[in-house]
Amino acid sequence: MEPLDRDLDHSELELPAEPMMLDMGPAHPCMHGTVRTVVELTGERIVRADVQVGYLHRGFEKMCERGTWTQVFPYVDRANYISPMLNNVGFALACEKMLGIEVPERCQWYRMALGELARISDHLTCDGAMAMELGAFTPFLWMVKAREMVWEVLEEETGARLTHSFGRVGGMAHPPTDGFKETTRATLDQVLKVVEECERLLLGNRIFLDRLEGVGPITAADAISLGWTGPCLRACGVPYDVRKAHPYLRYAEVDFDVPVGVHGDSLDRFLVRLAELRQSARIIRQALDRMADSGPVNVDDPRVVLPPKEEVYSTIEGTIRHFKIVMEGLKIPAGEVYSYTEAGNGELGFYLVSDGSGTPYRVRIRPPCFLITSGLERVITGQMIADVVPCFGSLNMIGGECDR
Amino acid sequence: MPTFKLDDREIPFEPGETIIQAAHRAGIEIPHYCWHPGLSVAANCRMCLVEVLPPPGRPALSLAVMSWDESQGAYVDQKKPKLQPACQQGAADGMEVRAETSPHVLRARSSVQELLLLNHPVDCPICDQAGECRLQDYWLEHQSSSKRMRDEPVHKPKAVSFGPTIVYDAERCIVCTRCVRFSAEVAKDPVLSVRQRGNLNEITVAPGRSLDHPYSLMTEYVCPVGALTAKDFRFKARVWFLRSAKTVCQGCATGCNAFLDHDPRTGAVYRHRPRENAAVNRYWMCDEGMLDYRRIDERRITAAAVSGEASTLGSALDRAAVVLREAPRDRLGVVLSAQHSTEDNFALLGLARDVLGATSFFLGGRPAGQGDDVLRDADKNPNTRGVRELLGATPLGTMPELAAKVAAGAITELLVLGADVGELPDASALSGARVAVAVASAEGPLLSRPYVLLPATGYGEADGTYVNRAGLAQHSEEAVPARGDARPAWKLLAGIAARLGKDLGYRKLTELRGALGGAAAPAGAAE
Repeated sequence: MEPLDRDLDHSELELPAEPMMLDMGPAHPCMHGTVRTVVELTGERIVRADVQVGYLHRGFEKMCERGTWTQVFPYVDRANYISPMLNNVGFALACEKMLGIEVPERCQWYRMALGELARISDHLTCDGAMAMELGAFTPFLWMVKAREMVWEVLEEETGARLTHSFGRVGGMAHPPTDGFKETTRATLDQVLKVVEECERLLLGNRIFLDRLEGVGPITAADAISLGWTGPCLRACGVPYDVRKAHPYLRYAEVDFDVPVGVHGDSLDRFLVRLAELRQSARIIRQALDRMADSGPVNVDDPRVVLPPKEEVYSTIEGTIRHFKIVMEGLKIPAGEVYSYTEAGNGELGFYLVSDGSGTPYRVRIRPPCFLITSGLERVITGQMIADVVPCFGSLNMIGGECDR
Repeated sequence: MPTFKLDDREIPFEPGETIIQAAHRAGIEIPHYCWHPGLSVAANCRMCLVEVLPPPGRPALSLAVMSWDESQGAYVDQKKPKLQPACQQGAADGMEVRAETSPHVLRARSSVQELLLLNHPVDCPICDQAGECRLQDYWLEHQSSSKRMRDEPVHKPKAVSFGPTIVYDAERCIVCTRCVRFSAEVAKDPVLSVRQRGNLNEITVAPGRSLDHPYSLMTEYVCPVGALTAKDFRFKARVWFLRSAKTVCQGCATGCNAFLDHDPRTGAVYRHRPRENAAVNRYWMCDEGMLDYRRIDERRITAAAVSGEASTLGSALDRAAVVLREAPRDRLGVVLSAQHSTEDNFALLGLARDVLGATSFFLGGRPAGQGDDVLRDADKNPNTRGVRELLGATPLGTMPELAAKVAAGAITELLVLGADVGELPDASALSGARVAVAVASAEGPLLSRPYVLLPATGYGEADGTYVNRAGLAQHSEEAVPARGDARPAWKLLAGIAARLGKDLGYRKLTELRGALGGAAAPAGAAE
């Protein structure tokens, strides 16, 4: 006999429902980049989630093994494409570590200033997008306006708004422009003004706070076990920042704080990024103050740095030097290295293997986003379906970094 | 064996060897331009200078020099050791030599390099040597600095034609005299010499002569810089795009070891270079051999044909099986080819002797040419000895003998590998017989009207074994993809056998080589 409806237990408050499978992505307006999240719902509550990142696959670690070391820069640009300068600098530092060279002090300050500008652009994008996805469109436009100001500085310096390919092993593609310091200082003032306005708009908004507060929390222990770094980890109260823990460039010589959160929820992640913006501005101001107005930017090492063009065209030594670096690629001694820096979303590591030739033998990238995205499942399980959007937004997944 | 110490490493040497020779054998490369292991010692480039420490208790050979002292702001008298060229200095037991560990040597290398580049033109972008040029390599390794001379460099003749194969650029020349010594010592034709002195000196061809001896391309090969360039290779390719396959030259029975340089992006072949093998060709190759690579794309057969009509490979193989089944076995002549690898001939033998039951075998190949006592052999086929060894006791006739049998009506059908008629002036003497099936890579006299024509891969398109005149079996590697429909001849012949209902027992080269046994094992082929 088939069971009749009246045999069902009516004591439960909710009507019994079949669990529902729902695909969010890979093409969903709220999925930054192509990522697919399969969620299993009971009512509106997520009981199971499966995050799949394989939809963006360029195989760019493999691509890096084809050209010269210098030709890797455009690829790392496209890992975290919101803050490519940080990737450029990270890769350059990894190569320099293997070569055993250190760029001149002026270049170090320059790299820090440009890198922190990129971090500002990264955080502005993430926080702006979070607000927009919760319906607050105005702050998004304002923050993107501020980001545009940052990008204008970067464009002035590098010639490109987004994918700069500006880093070089042993230095940078060009020295700072004459007006770099002035423009940057002025831009920072404007950017911080916009940030303040947005902050007033959002943090006084009940709806915005309700959607974030206590949503998608994660404990510090969980975050560490997942390999989280960067703002997402710091939002859990863990003050780990590569710039403080293992200072590189001149970070040991500048004053800045590492903002941390308390609850590890979406709001904390939002707030940590806002606070970091201001710290980045602090760092940039100090870097600009201490960067010399003249002096070499590139190391003086014919093995790695291209000669000035006028020498290439007029002397045989310059031609040979140019030729060896361009045609054969600069040679990095055989060996391996792990070098890591604080990128927009956390620890960006490069594990490089060189066989002594002009072509990388292996380029392994440890992108912060790949590990953070792997924690999305834990963050959204148990949340409401509508909370996937702010949770996902607060992790700031960058598709390019999840390319495995 | 006596030893000497080079930078704290013990190097064994044979009595009479020089420092550079012993180090070279031990795998240590002391930088050099003029020294070549196959030529006499000139010791004129000074790049291989090393510091030889005096025997215990004896004073060091030293020179009084003046050097600038920054702190005093004046030149001061100083001593520096007299350095010795490692290419000329004989090794002695217990001798202590410093190269990398001596600051004097490092400074000398840098200075020599600076001197050699003083008058060098800015030619890398248009120079064929770029990418394999010693000047480039050594600049980065040993100098890495700009020149201090501010004067206009000395200008000399450029693009001078030295002969039919070689162009000379005096501005790029470092006058190491390798080409001069090679011509005199190896080619035995002292047609080159040096004229003028100091920074005006340059290589010149003897009056009334041109550089036209049979080893002229070798002068380009021994040239460590871009002074001599080969007309054949000039402006054709940039070397860093090329890959090299280890091959065996097909020009004659000497079987010189070669590199076949090809562009993997297009499959085009660009040049032949000698590959060192002390047992065969030492460091050299002849012009004929170095230009022989061009046959890969000359008069190629790239598609099958039946009665002169283009056909697919499959139906041509079917047709071949039919005509061979119908051919009278006692009047079937089989022409093996000294131009083809042992594998190809082995498969032909398997098909003809074991499947078809043929009994008359003849050896085809290119006619004899000029030989000399350096490298070139009069037999212009790479595998004559390989085919003979393959047949063992089975009689192997010559092409004139085949012509006689055809004229007598004893042979009416031919199964042919290759397209050459050996010593016959042309194929007219064979017109009494029908070429039933021909497997060949290039057009030739034998292929005037074959019934079934099957396209075989040529040299450089397939792996193969060739036995040289000394009986050395050597492997030649595949370099480029097969042209058109071409397949290795042994595969085509095995395909015919399969269509006749007999499996020759191999589908892969390794299986074929297993069946061949020792005949295909490379003997003493150096890397």
